[in-house]
Amino acid sequence: MATLAHDGHGDGHNEALHHQFENIDQQNESYVVGMWTFLVTEIMFFGTLFVIYTLYRSMYPMDFYLAHEHLNIQLGAINTCILLFSSWLMVMSVHWAQRGNREKVLLYLGGVLACAFGFLVIKYVEYGSKIKDKMVPGPNFTTDPEKVHGANFNYAQLFYGLYFSMTGLHAIHVIVGILIIAALVRLWWIRAKSVVLDYIPTELVGLYWHFVDLVWIFLFPLMYLIPKPH
Amino acid sequence: MSVTAVRPADLPEKPPETVNYLNVDHTIKSWLLTGDHKRIAILYLISVSFFFFLGSIAAGLIRYELTAPAGWVLESDTYNKVFSAHGVIMVFLFLVVAIPAVFGNWLLPVMIGARDLAFPRLNLLSWYLYVIGGTLIMIGIINGGTDSGWTFYTPYSSMYSNNNTATVLLGIFIAGFSSITTGINFVVTTHKMRAPGMTWFRLPLFVWSMYATGVVILLGTPVVAITLFLVVLERTLQFPIFNPELGGDPVLFQHLFWFYSHPAVYIMILPAFAVQSELIANFARKRIFGYHFVAFSTLAIAGLGFLVWGHHMFISSQSMYQGVVFSLITFLVAVPSAVKIFNWTATLYKGNISLHSPMYYALGFMGLFTVGGLTGLFLGSMGTDVHLTGTYFIVAHFHYVMVGGTLTAFLGALHYWWPKMTGRLYNDTLAKATAILVFLGFNLTFFPQFIIGFMGMPRRYHYYYFAPEYQAYHIMSTLGATVLGLSLILPAFYLTKSLINGPRASANPWGAHGLEWNTTSPPPPHNFEETPIVTDEVYDFDPVLEYEQDQEKKRREPRHYDDFDPQALAENEPKLPDKEKN
Amino acid sequence: MANTPLSHSHHVVPARYYHINLLVLALLMGLTIAAAYWSAPGGVVVNNIIAVGIASIKAYLVILIFMGVKWASPLTKVWVLAGFFGFSLMFIVLCDYMTRQFEPANGWVKNGQSAYPPVRPGSVQNVPDNVNFRPRGSGN
Repeated sequence: MATLAHDGHGDGHNEALHHQFENIDQQNESYVVGMWTFLVTEIMFFGTLFVIYTLYRSMYPMDFYLAHEHLNIQLGAINTCILLFSSWLMVMSVHWAQRGNREKVLLYLGGVLACAFGFLVIKYVEYGSKIKDKMVPGPNFTTDPEKVHGANFNYAQLFYGLYFSMTGLHAIHVIVGILIIAALVRLWWIRAKSVVLDYIPTELVGLYWHFVDLVWIFLFPLMYLIPKPH
Repeated sequence: MSVTAVRPADLPEKPPETVNYLNVDHTIKSWLLTGDHKRIAILYLISVSFFFFLGSIAAGLIRYELTAPAGWVLESDTYNKVFSAHGVIMVFLFLVVAIPAVFGNWLLPVMIGARDLAFPRLNLLSWYLYVIGGTLIMIGIINGGTDSGWTFYTPYSSMYSNNNTATVLLGIFIAGFSSITTGINFVVTTHKMRAPGMTWFRLPLFVWSMYATGVVILLGTPVVAITLFLVVLERTLQFPIFNPELGGDPVLFQHLFWFYSHPAVYIMILPAFAVQSELIANFARKRIFGYHFVAFSTLAIAGLGFLVWGHHMFISSQSMYQGVVFSLITFLVAVPSAVKIFNWTATLYKGNISLHSPMYYALGFMGLFTVGGLTGLFLGSMGTDVHLTGTYFIVAHFHYVMVGGTLTAFLGALHYWWPKMTGRLYNDTLAKATAILVFLGFNLTFFPQFIIGFMGMPRRYHYYYFAPEYQAYHIMSTLGATVLGLSLILPAFYLTKSLINGPRASANPWGAHGLEWNTTSPPPPHNFEETPIVTDEVYDFDPVLEYEQDQEKKRREPRHYDDFDPQALAENEPKLPDKEKN
Repeated sequence: MANTPLSHSHHVVPARYYHINLLVLALLMGLTIAAAYWSAPGGVVVNNIIAVGIASIKAYLVILIFMGVKWASPLTKVWVLAGFFGFSLMFIVLCDYMTRQFEPANGWVKNGQSAYPPVRPGSVQNVPDNVNFRPRGSGN
């Protein structure tokens, strides 16, 4: 016969404890592990695109190199710096959430938002110039050999198809990140118990944002810094 | 002591209308905004049954069409849309979802002694995503449907098929996220929320399989999600990813599609194995033979299942060296499945088998899955697959494992846990008759398909005027399908009747083992009045006690199980040696 | 003025870890750009390996320090590894393409011998009248 334990809620005064958990440590670790399992699915999600990219780049190395020359490396590098800095801002906000300092949390989260917007602005500029140059693959793809720097038009379309898919998917994740961080900022602003009593929501948002940065860390060299094949 | 079954006579008498998860709140809002995993499981049961019904209508149309050698009811295009609808609905809206979302959601927390899953709101979101995805798929199908098959091979699906393909693909994309959130919940719950004393090797094998299913879902589903999304981009924006005219490779789509879809069949069958372990152990009243082997073979299937997708692509122009490797690993992955079959058979040996309707399904599963698995070996071997692929042999094979495996286990689980989930007993005689009819109808439907497949009948063809000798087999198959379809309607009647005026179930009408039988039927909203502490493994049937109980049962007047009367039993309680009760 | 969270059992990482990490990542970023313009002796393959290698080191630092995995439970670490392991499985797809060059058969050869009689595209042969058969390209 199973003996029946006393049904305590751990520290019963912890308002941040949800009913299905026994104590706050179990809850915290469950949330972090749960977030990581979600990030694992995101790794597989983006990973597929990386596999497709690897295949096509190994099939058409010269065309991918030539086509990529039309990308603006400076803007890409600035975006990388922005995201890197925003990653630091994010982790600082989580740090201050752990130490319970609302003002600093809001300051750093605001910084992250600013960086995210900056990233999107630069992306908008980049996409704008690509669209103007008719680099969007499809029936309206450019027929000007200079735009593709001498690459085969078909394979250049493949490159740009992957470029727009991968950076576009990444940008969608940035937009979603902005929405989530904005929601978090609002919760901190109104001193909602769910974020004030428990640092985990901030940490989970942080994990998501760092993942966004991670994807860009791989995207930038692969897309913008292709070495010249011999 | 151990987590043992509670003999019905031991239960405290409870008045019939206790607060349980079903009657705690009757409002629609409490159902649609519930966080209770048991209610979400019931919501899933209703929606899954609905989609299964729609998918079977498509199946009926297919079988009806195939009774004549010349296509006589449907045109080619329509037939293509019908079998695509059948595939999409059955795979993405029924098979992948049914056992995990209904029984996994309901039972996983209860079996490990938890109050709920780790993320109840995520669970609710999962159901909504399923419904939205399913609705989008049905909108696409009703608007004209996609004729690309459920496999959506490029470049047909990305370039030439009609626009409903994009709608259906988006529906599948959303339903995929429903699956992913379920997987997250299962994995985290199993890791973090087991009751005190519930170590990994004291878990019911059901939980092992659900955990493995969760892992497979997490690693596989995103791949197909992004792949199908890229096909949508190709269709709508003419993005060239798989377009051969622009240097893309259509076979790459197949690689990525099957990278998920092969593990997907393990998502479909591992929960069936989960149910099977529970049914066999409890209806043979014996500890599962080789518990550790069954547990590890579950993990082996989940792992190896990611390395065999190429066996769907032997004729796709994939490298033959790749084919050889995939063929070899396919043979390897058959071994853990066979280990399980052997272990269940060994569990039956010298077990105290009680033949109730769930056991009928469990025994049927053993045979049907074995046939399906063995015929899979013909297909896993590259040499024979070259001849058998694209024929009805494949159709028969996967229906044996999916219908004979997953659907049978789903029905077995439904009948086994119905008293626990609803607190009502159903008519077991009718249920047994249904099980037999399902078994017979199923075999009559699909066994002839092995024969005509071997003889060369291609799949996805609605005419076979070039081989009219197949007609006899097709007619047998349609006859079987009719029997199968009609017999599957029966549970709707007797199960609904049980809800209306069936006798109330005690906490443990089957005398089974497991934490779920230690709480009332139906359980209170938080599953247990107090958190259980586990001190021994779950299948701790005591052979001496079982024998003595069996002798007592035989001595008493034979009673139909749904006349089970705990009060009368208590009066006639046999004087058994005092088992240490603690 | 701090609203102290009620759980102190977690480990609050000193902020200097984060500052140092940011500097290292910035340096590595500079290195990435520099390495892209440097012609490695072994050819493009080595360049690619270096690029992915540096990116991997950056990812490792972000995961370990910024995402806190260094101080996380073993379960979290297992899942991080599982994610990248699952990702690496997909690269088996590339083995298909890499081994095609060793196949003995050259694929369809122009003017090769076929066992089937030639069928002109769009034509249909020997279909009885009562069959619901519409050839492709004839509408819808």
